[in-house]
Amino acid sequence: MNTHTTGKTMTQPTPLLSVRDLRVEVGERTVLESISLDIQSGELVVLMGANGSGKSTLGLTLAGHPRYRVSAGSARFHGQDLLAQKPEERAHAGLFVSLQAPPDIPGVKNALFLRSALNAVRASRGEPQLDAFDFLKDARALSSELGLDAKLLSRPVNEGFSGGERKRNEMLQLALLKPRLALLDEIDSGMDVDGVRAVVKQVQAMRAQGTAFVVVSHYLQLIESLTPDTVLRLDQGRIAETGTLALARDIARTGFARQSETAEV
Amino acid sequence: MSPPPCPDLLDAQARLASHGWIAPKAENFRHLPPPPASAWLAPPATPTTKPTTEPSDPTESWHVRALDAAQADQFITQYLNPAIPAQRAMLFRGLPWPDESDAAHFGWMHRATCQRGLRVHIAGDPARHAAAPLRLVLHIAPAAPFDAPLLVIDVAAGAHCVLLEQHAFDPSADAGVQNLDLHIRLGQGARLQHLRTVAPAPHDRLAHQLHVTLAEGAHYDQALLASGSAYHLQRTQIDLHQPGSAARMGAALLAADATLDQQIALSHTAADTYSAVESLLLASGKAHAVLNAHTLIATGADNANVRQRLCAIPTSGQPRVVLRPHMEIHHDQVQAAHGATYGALPDEALFYARQRGLDEASALALILQGLQRAVLERALDDPELLTGMSAAPSRLKQARTAARQGEGTPLNLDAALARMTQQHLARSTA
Repeated sequence: MNTHTTGKTMTQPTPLLSVRDLRVEVGERTVLESISLDIQSGELVVLMGANGSGKSTLGLTLAGHPRYRVSAGSARFHGQDLLAQKPEERAHAGLFVSLQAPPDIPGVKNALFLRSALNAVRASRGEPQLDAFDFLKDARALSSELGLDAKLLSRPVNEGFSGGERKRNEMLQLALLKPRLALLDEIDSGMDVDGVRAVVKQVQAMRAQGTAFVVVSHYLQLIESLTPDTVLRLDQGRIAETGTLALARDIARTGFARQSETAEV
Repeated sequence: MSPPPCPDLLDAQARLASHGWIAPKAENFRHLPPPPASAWLAPPATPTTKPTTEPSDPTESWHVRALDAAQADQFITQYLNPAIPAQRAMLFRGLPWPDESDAAHFGWMHRATCQRGLRVHIAGDPARHAAAPLRLVLHIAPAAPFDAPLLVIDVAAGAHCVLLEQHAFDPSADAGVQNLDLHIRLGQGARLQHLRTVAPAPHDRLAHQLHVTLAEGAHYDQALLASGSAYHLQRTQIDLHQPGSAARMGAALLAADATLDQQIALSHTAADTYSAVESLLLASGKAHAVLNAHTLIATGADNANVRQRLCAIPTSGQPRVVLRPHMEIHHDQVQAAHGATYGALPDEALFYARQRGLDEASALALILQGLQRAVLERALDDPELLTGMSAAPSRLKQARTAARQGEGTPLNLDAALARMTQQHLARSTA
């Protein structure tokens, strides 16, 4: 079994997320062969890998996307069988997956979408609903911190947004929903320098509060700024290598092709 | 003693007697034939000679009111009883006879059975309307199980009006029949933004015919939100016969185990005219629905610019849907585009909403509302008209206070959209 655990496993409580031998198929194709990993609260894991290695598939599978079929393995999140849950139940349990290409939702104002989602999650936690006014106050303040134009709150979700605005909008959702574990799939793509700084600041702040992160990225600058606990390299649907920041630096220097050859040797 | 029948009433009755009802193969109705003529005739009764008056209780029958009391002097209403010859003459004054189309049968039937009338005259005041358009609410409820109302709305030159037309039907009442004729005439440079909600009870039978005539430079925008019933016809005919006149129509239509027939007929005969039609139909179960758009560009309609877009999305079951985009172009210097698509539910958006915590039903409702809202927004070119409330900080506090005091905003198509979508999904599930 190729299981990733942190070096602190012996002293840690039950992992927040525990994945074992996960095998995932899309149509007739097996995308993930066998994935095993544990993630603790507050941990930050960077997931690297060549295009098509299965990084996005892992996130979407954990989120419950209907296109991804789990044919073997298990995943437990916060003590529950994640794979038995509906997508919204996974979100209520505290799993947040930021999509690489967040879709448009025509005609649905961003503020309405965010408030509806937030209130659904709050209801699942037994917290009171936020009215439009209290919500807008919070959303505007967070938008400002993220450098997201507050006018985008009154526009349809992601419609006409630039790449960077979509990603900032994902970060706004993350900040509002306050999940236990966030999987950020290439959150830096399309973002300007200020945006990337805002991501780092927010991730570090939430991590300090106990939120765990899985960050998919190809860019060393972001990875270094995030100071990950662990770096994983995914190759052909398996975790091929587990390391620290040094592994990310190696990959940045030598590329994935070279890394694959080295691993085979 | 009853007054003698009016000549036009006799003409209408004679016409119906000689021409009969809509033929089974009539082009406009061949995919969804209407109920027989007998369904549209009032049960025998003695016509009343009592003049109708504006109801004192605004929730009864029909009335028009300004949202802003300070604008109440900008329009005049006349409630007229077509059973009284003098009032009938005033009611029908200046209105054309039904044309020769298939749908004219409904027009003749209406002439023969019309029971109540309302004329609204909107004064032209470009200076005042530039700052704030006149905002009116027209509330209509069936006056009886058989109802054939006539509405005439004249918008004076230069006026700018936003009209919310709300129809109220009682699902607990016996099956009703309504044959409504609505004539809208816009003066030079006038603009009417017309928001309409029509949600009949499942057993009701409706035929609404709108006739819109535009003078030079006039603009007419209609956002229609309607749901199906035992039979529901929404027909709009727009005449763009003067230079620079323009019309936009956006419709969000819901049919769950019901029938719905939308017919739009646009006629461009003048230069520099513009029209855009966009309809979105959500159909489920055993619904039977037809979207029928016909745009005529006549010889001489130089630089006419026309758009047609029809879309249907089955939300469940096996609805029967027919889309009929049709353009008839008799002039070279024009721009024209049309399309018809049968779509699918946006799976990625649904997953996205669920991943953010919304359950499947809520996510579906939100997304379907959004799809409809987008169509209505494009027709009005002013999203705020759908909410009736600005999100601007300066007005937010007022809106919040109003909301907490339980004051609704009547100019709110959004609320109707949410309610009707929920009903659609509930009926689909059932």
